[in-house]
Amino acid sequence: MSGLVSIVLLGTLILIFSGRLLVQWSRRSHAQVVTIEDYSQAREALDSVFVETAAIKRIFANEDMEFISQAGTGDVQRFFLKERKRLAIQWVRMTQKQVAHLMDLHLKLASYTYEPSPRSEGRLTVNHVCFILASNGVSVFLWLFGPFKAVRIVAYTVRAAEYFCSEFRLRLEKIDPVKLGSARQPRSL
Amino acid sequence: MEANLIWLGGAVLEAVLLFRGWKAGLLSRYKFFYAYVAWVLLTQSLGFWFYKHNPSSYLTLYWDTQLVTVAASYAVCVEIFKSALRHSPGVARDAQKLLLVVFVAALSYAASDFFHRGFSSVARAAADLGAYLSYVEALLLLLMLWLFGRYRISFGRNLLGLTLGYSLWVGIDVVILVLLFLPGNGASVGLRRLAPLVFLITLMIWCASLWSSQPEPLPPAESAIDRDYALLAAKTRAALAHLSARVGRTLRP
Repeated sequence: MSGLVSIVLLGTLILIFSGRLLVQWSRRSHAQVVTIEDYSQAREALDSVFVETAAIKRIFANEDMEFISQAGTGDVQRFFLKERKRLAIQWVRMTQKQVAHLMDLHLKLASYTYEPSPRSEGRLTVNHVCFILASNGVSVFLWLFGPFKAVRIVAYTVRAAEYFCSEFRLRLEKIDPVKLGSARQPRSL
Repeated sequence: MEANLIWLGGAVLEAVLLFRGWKAGLLSRYKFFYAYVAWVLLTQSLGFWFYKHNPSSYLTLYWDTQLVTVAASYAVCVEIFKSALRHSPGVARDAQKLLLVVFVAALSYAASDFFHRGFSSVARAAADLGAYLSYVEALLLLLMLWLFGRYRISFGRNLLGLTLGYSLWVGIDVVILVLLFLPGNGASVGLRRLAPLVFLITLMIWCASLWSSQPEPLPPAESAIDRDYALLAAKTRAALAHLSARVGRTLRP
């Protein structure tokens, strides 16, 4: 019976993945080859999500909520909460979108490279999946409880994200600068 | 009558596919694929003749030729892999190793199961072996599709149609096979009719996508910076590390 289930699952996954291939093709049929410039633009776009750091930090600021609770009427409090929740969710979605775009370009560029590192790619995939799960979790909590009650969960997510990115920092430190320098020169065959 | 129509439709589509492949100059680009189609056309024609004039030999012929068909199908799998990843040498090299490991592991498992179960006749053994090889092929195809999706491999219209048709056929064929091999299902008329119908749809997809030669995706421009994985990975890591620091600063209560 387990053999039957696994083969049926195998067949179904083949159909799903081939459907995904068709969707990817229809989205990219007119797309040009990705270059490092596209990638740099994506990095800048990701950075731009955080340009107004102070403003974004304010979305989650408990002081504002305390002030409104003391000074505002019930309608004002509801409106305030609604607006903050909308802003917080929008911000998380925008970050997710930019990270997804960056990963998309990274993978496409990685496919052009001569020596991709399967271990590094595997780790990157695991961490990216963790990031997606954590950020979606944050979105759900923001939607359910609003930005102020969800802030504890957000703090936990931040720690997860920091762990996720610390992997990258470690790898960055291990990269030989000489090799990085040579990448700017035309590759001799 | 209905079965004859499906057979005839399939044979006509296979002939059209071969003819269009020759006219469009695709025979040399996808030689294993067209050899597979020619082989299927030949075995189907022989099978039909045997079925009408010598029904007792039909099953033996079917299972004997089925092994060659599965082998030809593997060649198509390899052709898709090579064509899709020809501009991605690094991924192709790593994927080749991965697929080889999976192939050897799956084949060893299938072989041990095959010999452990034993077989009552040569025809039955050929049928079992064909089924096992099909399962292994499906597993390899699944891995390939995952890789193509993950690395956003660009496909031309011809190769995409070939891959989609092939995936549809292999994906549904393994499910039909495993259901047919279930005790009591061997004589299921519905299941036996489903396979030719799916193959007919597959042939239609192939005919539509391989009707004429379509341009293949452009190879990426030669650029050292684009091809240096260490630099690329470093940039991505730096971007994500930067993101982490920013998120931390923003959300820390």
